[in-house]
Amino acid sequence: MLGCCILLSACAPTVQVAVPNEPITINLNVKIEHEILVKVDKEIDDLFSENSDLF
Amino acid sequence: MIKHVFKNVLKPLILLTFMLSLANSAWALNLDEAKSQGLIGEQSNGYLGLINNSNASAKSLIDDINRKRRAAYTAKAQKAGVELKIIEIRIGERLQQRAKKGEYVQRSNGQWQRK
Repeated sequence: MLGCCILLSACAPTVQVAVPNEPITINLNVKIEHEILVKVDKEIDDLFSENSDLF
Repeated sequence: MIKHVFKNVLKPLILLTFMLSLANSAWALNLDEAKSQGLIGEQSNGYLGLINNSNASAKSLIDDINRKRRAAYTAKAQKAGVELKIIEIRIGERLQQRAKKGEYVQRSNGQWQRK
């Protein structure tokens, strides 16, 4: 029984986590750009319906 | 009394409205005609460009429309909280996408391309 425990614990896998030295940066540019595009497109839609004679 | 009001106020108003609507539709027709005839086309900057430089009437038409477009773009840029340039580039893209078959659009290298 004791022998079994020793044998099993010897086989237990260990996971090592390496901590990165630099801080993690999340790029938000894509999200912001998308929000701007949605806003701009809405204004352009309005423009097309309000001033159809200009297009 | 009612007849008098109609004769002196309403009739001229109705006539004026009718004339204005005619002028407006004639102008819009002109823009579509000039586009389909290949005299003018959509540039990538959101404004109309002249394909054939020798046409003076097409030039005055697009100068007028481009002036009005710029004013409208400026107002919309303020509403969206972005620079004028952003609106110009995006509407340029969209106007070129919307252009009908046979009309001209200007590519980024400056060349006019028939859709």
